[in-house]
Amino acid sequence: MNQFEFTRRHMMALMGTAATAAMLPSVASADEGLKFWAPGIARVGEKDWSSMEKEAGIKLVNVAKSARADESIQKMVVGDGNALYDAMTDNGGGMEDALASQNAIAELDTAKIPNWSIIEKRYLDGGDAADTIRYEGKVYAIPYISNADALAFNYDVIGEELTSWEVLFDEQFKGRAALQNDFGPTLTNTAIYLKQSGKQDIDNPSDMTEDEVKGVCQFLIDKKKAGQFRTFWDGFQNGVDLLASEEVLVASCWEPVQIVAAKKAGKDIRYGTMKEGHQTWNNIVMLTRGGRERGMDETFYKLANLYLSPWFGARTLAGLGFTPQMTGVLEYVDANPDTFDAETKALINDRLARKKDRIAIAGNSWQNVFPTNMRAYQDWWSRVQAA
Amino acid sequence: MTDATDTGLGGLPPVEPFRPTLRERMSGWAFYIPIVFMVLFFALPMALTVVFSVFERTMFWMEPGFSLLAYENFFFSARLENFLASMGYSLISVAVSFCLGFPIAVFVRKSVPQAAQHRVVLLFILPFMVSEIIRIFALRPVLQRNGLVNETLLNLGLIDEPITALLYTHTGVIIGEVLSFMPFIVFSGFLAMEAVPKYIFEVCDDLGAGPVRRFVDVILPLAAPGIFAGAVFIFVNGLGVALIPNIMGGPGAVNAGLIATQAITALDFPLAMAVSAIMMATLMGLLYVGHKLFDLTKILAPMN
Repeated sequence: MNQFEFTRRHMMALMGTAATAAMLPSVASADEGLKFWAPGIARVGEKDWSSMEKEAGIKLVNVAKSARADESIQKMVVGDGNALYDAMTDNGGGMEDALASQNAIAELDTAKIPNWSIIEKRYLDGGDAADTIRYEGKVYAIPYISNADALAFNYDVIGEELTSWEVLFDEQFKGRAALQNDFGPTLTNTAIYLKQSGKQDIDNPSDMTEDEVKGVCQFLIDKKKAGQFRTFWDGFQNGVDLLASEEVLVASCWEPVQIVAAKKAGKDIRYGTMKEGHQTWNNIVMLTRGGRERGMDETFYKLANLYLSPWFGARTLAGLGFTPQMTGVLEYVDANPDTFDAETKALINDRLARKKDRIAIAGNSWQNVFPTNMRAYQDWWSRVQAA
Repeated sequence: MTDATDTGLGGLPPVEPFRPTLRERMSGWAFYIPIVFMVLFFALPMALTVVFSVFERTMFWMEPGFSLLAYENFFFSARLENFLASMGYSLISVAVSFCLGFPIAVFVRKSVPQAAQHRVVLLFILPFMVSEIIRIFALRPVLQRNGLVNETLLNLGLIDEPITALLYTHTGVIIGEVLSFMPFIVFSGFLAMEAVPKYIFEVCDDLGAGPVRRFVDVILPLAAPGIFAGAVFIFVNGLGVALIPNIMGGPGAVNAGLIATQAITALDFPLAMAVSAIMMATLMGLLYVGHKLFDLTKILAPMN
């Protein structure tokens, strides 16, 4: 062996070692599991994510997350979120644009998600929800739950099905009505009501002009001064307690609030279909830039595929009542009678039918996380609070 | 000739030059730790809060610059109204806490045996061992429309309709603040009462001073610094703890803490910083006035 050969051989060995070492972080990350920043509502089955892991064939390391937009922005745009998380969830229709524009999340290849073929058609190009998962025409997110927020009402006391937001502002429920303490859904749903009932000219309830915001808030201020609202609820448990304790009889709220309140109180508390329309929204799952850099694509796609499977859709519908994002849920339930007994099957059918009714209302308007006149929304909401 | 270093004066062994041990050297620096702590965790964040409050708002964060827009948004909108209202309700909470809490401190000081006084006061720590959110949530089954208070009063025939003013109203917020923060006035009141010698009560009795005159002319002036300190604690918490108006308040009930929280939620960070800076200025102003009036250093006098 001459000196040259010796050196070259050793050089090759060194390069090999270096290459292996360079690959180690990726391998280590995959072994450690997908670091998934998500709230509990993204989970079905066991309480520790084990059902999700088993079904997807991956390991998940969950970090609990709230639904607040500022938390995501602070972590992913300003903070060290890309170093901490491989995947994350948030609101569609705004957050994917914000995060993609800041290079905080990665573009997705839907060809690697087999269940993309059964995603709800409204998410495909040209669909009314297509923009909620895209940035500049490219897919950056996968939806996992959605809903059309409506009115919960105490059927035991009221004795009739409610089908209009009108009751929320009607004197018969003076002091027994509650709104959500969040200008996004509250102003949008009020705007939908005012627009569809012909009480105010509003072009787009999800993205109002300053004058439109002023008109909607002035309406709420007048109602508040007249003592219409018991309170503005904030937080899941608050919403549940208000309905369960009969402190209020009607409340604009998320569907899980109604479901849990009805269970807790043992009362017939229902979720209506509002003829004027609803604020519709979805939650999405995204691959972070850090996740891509650590080579977590394949693991992420397995998770995304699970979220678009009827296995997940049927369970989230039966549990917290969220709308599945794929077709074929009822067929899946029919094919698995051991998992879904007759009662659960009836529940799923009923909920899905109600959801279809709500989604079909023409006046629905998609959630807009960052309306153009955000400052006007903020300022006028503070006036509603001060009134 | 003998080297001076070899033998000391008069044949005594030479004196070793004084070399402080590492521990002694470090102990000198230990006195600076509180200053470093205060600068790092108090002065610096406060200064940054003020600096950030004049930054320019961007879509998702803020960028260096000088803009008073956040202050304009605070002072020329309903936020100022909300802030002043929450100051008003905090003052009511202070007054109610004083009326309920200070007599407890006086009672403990005057009537409980010396050996047991601290133990009795420590009882007031117990509620603090439970999470504040749990304590506030626990009030709702008591105060709500079909809660314990209303059910009891209805069953006793004292009322015909549930009282709805106890919860989801400003009264509810004040009840929540008093029950949460009253121990502050008990602690500081008790500490302040240590500045009041026990024989004062006997002297007042001997001189025929009634309870009111004894309280107004003797106890109150002596205990004023401690009372003021307790009042500031309650006032500031009433302004800043967002949880209570959120859970106990009526539609849109807010305080300064909640105004800042909502600004952050809307990604308006300069506004949130401005609200925080205004809160800090309010607190500083209060402490300055309090110090001028009562000489707050006297709070520590009994411990000297």
